[in-house]
Amino acid sequence: MTAVPAVRRGYPRYLAGRLAEYLTVLLVALTLNFALPRALPGGPLKLFGSPEALARLTADERAQIATEYGFGRPLHEQFLDYLTGVFTLDLGTSLTDGRPVTQALADALPWTLLLVGTSTVVTAALGVTLGVAGALRRRRGKGSGLLGAAVVADSIPQFWLGMLLIVLFGVKLQVLPTYGVSGPDGTTVGGVLQHLVLPVTTLTVTGMGYLFLYTRSSLLTVLTSEPVQHAHARGVPYGRLVRRHALRPALLPVHTILMLEIGFLAAGAIVVETVFAYPGLGRLTFDAITARDYPLMQGAFLVLTVLVVVMNALADATYPLLDPRARTGGHS
Amino acid sequence: MLLKAPRRKLLGRQGLIGCGGLFAIVAIALYGLALPDEAGRERVAEPYAAPRAGLPLGSDDLGRDLLDQLVVGAGTSLSLAFIVAAATTLLAAVIGGAAGIGPRWLSVTLMRGADVLLILPELILYILAAAFLGQSFGVRTAILALILWPVPARVLRAGVLTAWSRGHLEVSRAMGAPAWWLLARHGTYLIGPLLIPVFVRTAKVAIVYDATLSFLGLGDPTSPSWGTTLYWVQTNGVFLSDAWLWWALPPGAAIMLTVLCLALIGVAVEERLNPALREAVR
Repeated sequence: MTAVPAVRRGYPRYLAGRLAEYLTVLLVALTLNFALPRALPGGPLKLFGSPEALARLTADERAQIATEYGFGRPLHEQFLDYLTGVFTLDLGTSLTDGRPVTQALADALPWTLLLVGTSTVVTAALGVTLGVAGALRRRRGKGSGLLGAAVVADSIPQFWLGMLLIVLFGVKLQVLPTYGVSGPDGTTVGGVLQHLVLPVTTLTVTGMGYLFLYTRSSLLTVLTSEPVQHAHARGVPYGRLVRRHALRPALLPVHTILMLEIGFLAAGAIVVETVFAYPGLGRLTFDAITARDYPLMQGAFLVLTVLVVVMNALADATYPLLDPRARTGGHS
Repeated sequence: MLLKAPRRKLLGRQGLIGCGGLFAIVAIALYGLALPDEAGRERVAEPYAAPRAGLPLGSDDLGRDLLDQLVVGAGTSLSLAFIVAAATTLLAAVIGGAAGIGPRWLSVTLMRGADVLLILPELILYILAAAFLGQSFGVRTAILALILWPVPARVLRAGVLTAWSRGHLEVSRAMGAPAWWLLARHGTYLIGPLLIPVFVRTAKVAIVYDATLSFLGLGDPTSPSWGTTLYWVQTNGVFLSDAWLWWALPPGAAIMLTVLCLALIGVAVEERLNPALREAVR
C-alpha cells in the first residue's frame, strides 16, 4: 500500500470524525449554558441577581424580561429560542449596564486576544527553546538549574506574581503602568504596548514552566527511543541527530499542548485581568459572575467555551499535517 | 563474585526536599487546625498595625492577627487539597478502571464524558459553580472533585490498559481467572503506583484553584485562607505602603512553597516510575 491514497482517504475522514465530536461538545456546552440558570436553587427569578438589582428594575422591564426569556413556557420551546438567539448572535441585554451582551463581548474580546496572543507567542518561544536546552544539557549544571527554575516558576500563583510586579515596577520604580489599557493621553499604540508588559510577563512566567517541563520530557523520551538510538549507532553526528531525528517527533505533542493552552489561557486570563484591571473577557466574566449579570455571564461562558473548542479543533486539524502517522491511523 | 545492582534512592534529593517541606507545612497546618475558632477572625490589635513583639506579621484592616490567618489558612488549604485529591483519585480510579476493563459501551460513554468536561475551562466552571452553589468548605471540595476527575481518569485508564496486557496477566486470564480476581491479586502493585502522581498533581491544582477563588473574593468570607488574605490586600490597595511586606508576601509565599513541595514530590515519583526519564542519554 502506498502512502498517497491513504492520505487522500484518511485526512478528510479524520477531519469529519473530529468535527462531529466537536459539534457534540458544542451542543453539550450550549445545553449546560441553557440549563445552569434553570437549575439554580431558588428558581429562575434569582438569576436577575442581587435584590438591589431586582429592585432597580421597573415593572415594564420585569415584564419585558419575562417575555424575553419566556419562563413558564415548555422547556423545549425555551431551548429552541435560546439556540435561535445564539445563532443569530442575539444574547440578550446586560443587566448591569443595559448594553447588548454581544456588544459587551465584542468590546472585550480583542483585548483578551491581544493579551493571550502576545503571551502565548512569548511563552512558546521561551518555553520551547529553554525546554530543548534543558533536555540537551540534562546532566550539566545549566540544565538542572533550568529545571529548578521551571519548577519554581510553575509554582508561583499568578495573582501573587502580578501583585509583586505591581509593587516593584508600578509603585517602587514607577516605570510601567499597572492599570487598564490606556493612559491619560488616550489609546495609543505605545500606551497599549506599555500596558501589556506586566500582564504578559505574569502570564509568561507562570505559563512557561509547564511548557518547559513538557518539551524537556518529550525530547528526552524521543532521544532514548529506538529510531534515534539506531541513528546514533549508524554514526549520525549529534547535531544532525537532534535536529533531524529527535526534534520533530518531540515537538509534536508540544504543538498539541500549546494549542490547548491558548484556549484555556483566555479563561485563565480572568486572574491577570482582575489584578491589572484589564478590560478583557476574563474581567468581564468575573464582573458578570459577581454582579449576577446572568445574560452577560451566559454569553461570556459561551465565548470562552467556543474558544477552547475552536483551539482544540485547530490542534486536531493541523496535527496530521505535521505527523504523517496520524493521517493513516498508524498504518502506512 | 556477586554483581551488586546500584541501589536506587527512593525519592532522590528533590523528592526528599519536597517531602521535608511538605511535612513542615503539614505540621503548621495541624497546629492551625488546633487553634481556637476565633484565631485570625477576631480583632486583637489596632487596624494596620506594623509587626512587633507578640504580633510578628502585624494586623490587617480590621485589626486581625495576620500570622494567625496564615496558620489557619494552612489548615484550610491543606485539608481541602488532601480531601479533594483523595476524592478525585478515588473517582478517577473507579471511572478510569471501569473504562479500562469494562465493556466497550461503558468505556466509550465514560471517556466521551471526560472529553466534554475537559473542554470546559476548569477555573471558570469552578468560579461559576462556587458563585451559585455556595462557598462553604464542603461545597467547594465537592465541586473541585467533580471538576478535576477527567484528566486523572484518562491517565489511570491508560495505566489499566497497559497493566492488563502484561504477560503474566494474560496467562492468568487464559487459565480462567476472572477480572475481579486479577484486580485483587495484581491490581495493587500494577496500578497502585500510578495513583501517587495523580494524587499529588490533584492536590497541587486544588490548592491553586481554591486560592484563586478566594483571591477573586468568592471564597468563604468567614474562614481565613491564604487567598482571602490576598483578596484584602488587593481591595485595600496595600501595595502603596510598606505593609505589603508582611501582608502580601507571606500568604503568596506559602501557596508557592506548598505547590513547589508537591511539584518536587511529583517530579521525583514520576522520574522513578518512568525509567525513560531516568536513564535518558545525555
